[in-house]
Amino acid sequence: MNQDVTRLEELLARVQRNAAQPRRGRAAPLPSSPSAASSPSAASSPSAASSPSAASSPARPPVTPPAPPVAVSPPAPPVAPAPAYSPPASFDSVDDLLADPFPASSAPPPPIPAEVIPDPIPAAGVAAGSEHISGVMPVAEISEEPPEELLEDDIVEMSPTEAAAEAAPPEPRSSLDELDFDEEGEAPAPRAELDEEPPASSSRSKVAATMDEALAHAAEQMEIQEGREVPLKTPPPESGPQAAMAPLPAGIHAPPAPDIDELLEADIIPVSGVTGAVPTAEQLGQTIDLDEARGPHLELDQPAAAAPAPPTEVAPPEELEVTLPQREFGGGYQDNLMPPPEARQDLDAHRQRVGEESIPPPPESLAQYPSAHPATSTGGMFAPASAPSVTTESPNEAVSTVTIEASSRAEFVPELLARPESSPGPVAKFIRADAPRPSTFLELLDASLKLGEG
Amino acid sequence: MMSPRFDPSYALEFDLGRGQIRMANASERVVVPSDALLALCEGASEDAVRDFGRRLGTEAGRAALAHLGDAGQASLEAVVEHLGGELALMGLGSLGLERWGSALVLCFTHSPLGGAGDALLGSVLEGMAQRAFGRDVVAAKLMRDAEHVRFLITGRAGADKALGWLSSGVAWGDVLTRLASAGRGES
Repeated sequence: MNQDVTRLEELLARVQRNAAQPRRGRAAPLPSSPSAASSPSAASSPSAASSPSAASSPARPPVTPPAPPVAVSPPAPPVAPAPAYSPPASFDSVDDLLADPFPASSAPPPPIPAEVIPDPIPAAGVAAGSEHISGVMPVAEISEEPPEELLEDDIVEMSPTEAAAEAAPPEPRSSLDELDFDEEGEAPAPRAELDEEPPASSSRSKVAATMDEALAHAAEQMEIQEGREVPLKTPPPESGPQAAMAPLPAGIHAPPAPDIDELLEADIIPVSGVTGAVPTAEQLGQTIDLDEARGPHLELDQPAAAAPAPPTEVAPPEELEVTLPQREFGGGYQDNLMPPPEARQDLDAHRQRVGEESIPPPPESLAQYPSAHPATSTGGMFAPASAPSVTTESPNEAVSTVTIEASSRAEFVPELLARPESSPGPVAKFIRADAPRPSTFLELLDASLKLGEG
Repeated sequence: MMSPRFDPSYALEFDLGRGQIRMANASERVVVPSDALLALCEGASEDAVRDFGRRLGTEAGRAALAHLGDAGQASLEAVVEHLGGELALMGLGSLGLERWGSALVLCFTHSPLGGAGDALLGSVLEGMAQRAFGRDVVAAKLMRDAEHVRFLITGRAGADKALGWLSSGVAWGDVLTRLASAGRGES
């Protein structure tokens, strides 16, 4: 509040000081266009002498005011200009000075009807018809020229607060709390006005006067940057469309993700130091409990070792390497090897089902003597069956009768007759007929002449 | 005894100045169209055709005998070569020989006379055999197809039997078999 009062007092002093100066730089409004000075285009013109900054510069030479346009048909401004402040020509009292110099934009001034004079001559025709080589143009003609259209870049919007800020020297900041980055060192303005009419153009950053001020400003910027939340304008990148994961049928599941702990533990355990007594973590997960061995004990017979050494419970890793049996060792099963109980039951059931015992032995080939068949090996887990005995009763070697004594359980006894072996000899005799061949043509002719005789 | 190969070099001499064609060691020849010769044969009697053919064969036998030398010692191949060469110079076709047991079969192929000239060809063979070998033979026609014609060279008795069987419908192979059986005393 005290600051506002101080500012108002300074403003008052400045106004009084400006009022004491002669009004040489002001453009005299023409009586024919009283509303031209209050038009937005005239107010926004950079050459307008009504700006306080221009009037406050004493070293500035007097500026020749440009002739205001007579025929005002302002083109549509490219941007909506801020309401310009046109200070009154003179202040009658202090109350007028203390009055609100910046009326709110919510209560715009009543529109002043502009006098629009239609241009009787087109602008192109004027330009073509009046050519002044010397460059001196009569005032009458100047007044009849169409208003110069300002480009967008030529329009500089200045609010009265900015103009006042430029005129007033910047006040040093007493503390960091007084820093207001929204104002950027401008002159303080009424809060309501700033809220309602933000400046359309960005202001120039203020240069720090001292090193302390620059450090303080930098620290403030850091705090603001840290406290600001960066809005997410774009969604986070994705790896593309992903197929929807359909539920897997029962019994099928995706492989579980590897356990990091297990992997680390497996890496910790040295490979060379694995022993049978200390299984790894992976082996623990895949261990299958096996049943106790049944039936006779199987072991590899080594020719050199007379009696196999009893198996040790914990064999060293070196003993796992077993030398393969030598070539002379053919291998085989022990004679007292018996099938396990389950296999015995299955075997009996199979024998009963197919009647294996009633099946006669396979017939022998008639081309061979029964004695030619080698004796079947009776080794193994089956009991040796009684082989049928074969005798030859016929004394004649040419035709022999072979009687096979089959087991008493056979239903019939086949009688096999074998053909005796015969030594190879001439089977047929071919007699070559030696036809008389005539050696000469005359003999043949004579023989042919005898045909049909007799 | 090896007979020299048949050499037809300069066998025919065309004397264009005189307008004559001569055969070596033979008389003049006349080149006539085959169809004209056939027409003449068809118009002539059977004896006239036979006599005409015999004369042609006599000329061929004589010329072959001049190359063969001793005809009694001439082989089958030599006789076929020289007799066939002489008949080829006459333009009567290619001579061949077949031996069916004891039967001698001579055949002609590519004869320009066709079936109508088979009687003439048989007479040529009879005259040739008589002139070259001094044997009176009968050439009985066994069969005829498009290009081949076969003649059984035998005596009169055998020719009568063969023609009798052929006329009764016995195949010419069976006729030869029967003749061979009859020659061995089998009936």
